[in-house]
Amino acid sequence: MRTLIRCLGLIFLFSMATEATSQVRRVVIYDDVATELRTPSPFTQSKDLWVTLAELTRSTGFVVKPQGVCRRELCFPLPKQRKADFLEQLGKVTWFNLSEFARLVKQPVAYDEELATWYFGPRPEGQNDYLATLEAPNFTLPDRSGKLHSLSDFRGKKVLLITWASW
Amino acid sequence: MPGWQIFYHELKDENFEIVSVAQDTGGVKDASPWIEKANPEYIALIDQQHLVTKLYSMVNVPTAVWINEQGKIVRPNEVAFVDDRFKSYSHMDSSPYLEAIRDWVAKGARSSFVLSEEELRKRLTPVSPDRLMADAEFSLAEYLFHAGHGTEAIPHFKQAQRLAPDNWNYKRQAWLLSDADRDYGTNFTKEVEKLNGKPYYAPRQMPEPAAKPN
Repeated sequence: MRTLIRCLGLIFLFSMATEATSQVRRVVIYDDVATELRTPSPFTQSKDLWVTLAELTRSTGFVVKPQGVCRRELCFPLPKQRKADFLEQLGKVTWFNLSEFARLVKQPVAYDEELATWYFGPRPEGQNDYLATLEAPNFTLPDRSGKLHSLSDFRGKKVLLITWASW
Repeated sequence: MPGWQIFYHELKDENFEIVSVAQDTGGVKDASPWIEKANPEYIALIDQQHLVTKLYSMVNVPTAVWINEQGKIVRPNEVAFVDDRFKSYSHMDSSPYLEAIRDWVAKGARSSFVLSEEELRKRLTPVSPDRLMADAEFSLAEYLFHAGHGTEAIPHFKQAQRLAPDNWNYKRQAWLLSDADRDYGTNFTKEVEKLNGKPYYAPRQMPEPAAKPN
């Protein structure tokens, strides 16, 4: 009997420990910036990423407003009949389902369950804009000394853009 | 790279710039020895997140894009070798390509190598949802790799490869970061053999430059 209790105790401790690790450190990568979320999520059974409204703004820059989910001049209205899929009030805290929002705006999400890490990629319209304008997509990258250069710095010149790799 | 330096030196006073971008998850550590060796006068950037591969839907290196003075694409993705060291892969001579660049630099929009908007729209295709998902998986894998989770990165690299099977950059980069045979059950040489004579690089669709008198 004593062994059984000890066993149960160990199982209990072990499940507490795994629960703690899965809850303590969640990472969201948005616009290629990683943010660690520290508020333990009550949605432990869900593969979706639920964040508090404060965490939403801290990790993505988006703010939930009456007219929708907004960042600067951009606003995505939430479908009225499906608000509960996006927002849930638990006690004093309002939670937001960032994965559901990604599905709404057709943003790709890669997820690693073990490491509780979510990567949100760009929305398709951003990636396909240049097909209409034929404008070369701009980027800003460092040289080997760390100095940043943008493709747009060379406006006024003909540019041969060449990629290569060490591999 | 040394070859491009010679080519650049010839044209650099013609309002022409080369912007080279290394597609290397290993960043400065992997790319800079090559840059130091070539010591180019042109711009040599390091793209640790393969951003340019994603933005321009590239599938291989070396890939070049011609961009005019207004920042518009006039020739999209094309294999771009400065010499013939890798001709066994490309099955293409490098010299007609270099001649075409010279022609463009001299004649601008009047060059026969500058494509019409109609032709450009035919060659540029929208990114599919699978490709976008592949990019996200690859980016997550890179993040995990840099965070010290190289083993956990592997299934995400594999998923990226499954979703974007034509993208050699996503394959070769992942294989290099690991023991390809052990972790991916394949390697570069084996995959090239599997092509069974099909070209490793997409053939260039380019008119022959006018023959020069000897």
